[in-house]
Amino acid sequence: MEKEEIKQKIYELLEKSKGKKKLKEKDVIKAISEETGVDKDTVKKALREMIDVGKVMYSYSGGASSVEIPSEEYLKEKGLL
Amino acid sequence: MSKKYDTPLLDELEKGPWPSFVKEIKKAAKKSERAADELGQVEKSYKTKRGYWKHGGIVGVLGYGSGVIGRYSSLPEEFPGVAHFHTVRINQPSGWFYTTKALREMCDMWDKYGSGLTNMHGSTGDMILLGTNTESLEPIFAEFSSRGWDLGGSGSAMRTPSCCVGPGRCEWANIDTLDINYALTQEFQDELHRPSFAYKFKIKTAGCAVDCIAAIARADLSIIGTWKGDIKIDQAEVKNYAKNGMDINAEIVDMCPTGCMSYDGKKLKIEDEDCNRCMHCIAKMTKALRPGDERGATLLIGSKAPIVVGAMLSWVVVPFIKLEPPYQELKDLIRKILEWWDENGKARERIGEVIEHKGMRSFLEYVGLPPVPQMIKEPRRDPFFFWAEKDLK
Ligand code: HEM
Ligand code: HEM
Ligand code: SF4
Ligand code: SF4
Repeated sequence: MEKEEIKQKIYELLEKSKGKKKLKEKDVIKAISEETGVDKDTVKKALREMIDVGKVMYSYSGGASSVEIPSEEYLKEKGLL
Repeated sequence: MSKKYDTPLLDELEKGPWPSFVKEIKKAAKKSERAADELGQVEKSYKTKRGYWKHGGIVGVLGYGSGVIGRYSSLPEEFPGVAHFHTVRINQPSGWFYTTKALREMCDMWDKYGSGLTNMHGSTGDMILLGTNTESLEPIFAEFSSRGWDLGGSGSAMRTPSCCVGPGRCEWANIDTLDINYALTQEFQDELHRPSFAYKFKIKTAGCAVDCIAAIARADLSIIGTWKGDIKIDQAEVKNYAKNGMDINAEIVDMCPTGCMSYDGKKLKIEDEDCNRCMHCIAKMTKALRPGDERGATLLIGSKAPIVVGAMLSWVVVPFIKLEPPYQELKDLIRKILEWWDENGKARERIGEVIEHKGMRSFLEYVGLPPVPQMIKEPRRDPFFFWAEKDLK
């Protein structure tokens, strides 16, 4: 599977869980790897590339971290939009 | 800037002989709108008995998930200076050695982008900078990293490893705590900056059992320097201590936790095979006693403060390991430990808690450590010798 396709799947998963369930990096990697049959390391690399450009960001609540799609407002504050 | 708020309740905390955070924040408030509004909001909290800080969310530096902790005021109109009041963690140097030049630079940068308030040092280890806004995060990171600094760990990540000053200042160090700490910090960069675990993981390294870094009470992995072989005794110096008024039986022999010492008024004797290297006698009779020459460390696992379950102290898993660069055996073992924890831990569970419910046996089997008597945590605790099916044939 193309890397762009994996990224698309990751994005869809995060969009679907928005406001419902906080997903850890590990949850995303496991879910996408199971869905697509692509190995975990490749999924992790794709996810990390999305994180590096701010398409996906780490979030934090009560001492534990998750990954989320950032809001437009936040991206503006960061000067990324 | 003139004083913005009357703070009669906070002023109470300036009384008495102790250092006061109120006094320090007032100093910062002379220069910083943020510090001034911080005082105002906290005074209001004291009055209404309510907290006005919001916490968490997406806040950070691009590519990193650690090192910045989002904080916001829930009263941004009333206290605009603290509408954003994020915390930035800077990875400290091993043993907290700074030059005054580095500290000045850091304070100048923080006056420029933040409230000027710092926490030197939080028990996390990092240098903690309090109070900045989202817009300033990337510029802060750029300035700090251009001077060789990096962010520390936060969230579900490896936390910035920390250590005692060790051989930097202390003659009791059995291992090079500073070098080990630096090596582990470099090795686990990804785990530090990208929070991918179920919860936090802390590594602390002490040069000896005096444990100035309090590893045994607050690190998921404690590395504590120790030795093999006999404690070296200089009997002439023992005599000197006695001559100078030390009651050797009361202060040393009777305080030895394993009861392995004796003193007949002339000669101090130690049954070294019973000594657990607690450091009490050596720390009290520095001139008379020295550790043996074969140096290494004991590894312990699982201490933590209360969250999911109550506080826990560390548990010995490796009685003795040689620690010499590049520390490959240690690094490999840590990776195994992280794997087992990550595989079995539920949200917000520290490794000590996972060991508690999955059992030490499962842990030891996975990481490949043999059960040994030193692992017995307390009398009557089973030392995990179990028979597997295959052993019974
Ligand atoms: C006046 C009579 C007795 C006294 C003073 C006594 C005293 C003790 C003491 C001091 C302990 C150690 C507790 C600990 O450190 O955890 C103990 C444990 C125990 N005793 Fe007794 N005991 C008495 C009678 C009995 C009797 C009659 C039985 C059995 C029929 C018994 C069975 C046990 C057992 C099984 C334990 C171990 C409990 C454990 O650690 O799990 N005791 N006893
Ligand atoms: C087949 C029979 C028995 C089995 C399998 C058995 C098994 C055990 C086990 C596993 C322990 C815990 C050891 C530890 O974790 O420290 C124990 C402790 C103990 N057992 Fe038994 N036991 C048996 C018979 C008996 C009998 C007949 C008595 C007394 C009449 C007895 C008295 C005790 C006592 C007092 C302890 C506590 C020892 C201590 O912790 O100081 N047991 N037993
Ligand atoms: S823990 Fe031991 S080696 Fe480290 S500073 Fe304290 S006394 Fe010295
Ligand atoms: S190091 Fe501790 S256990 Fe060992 S002899 Fe000294 S006091 Fe006793």
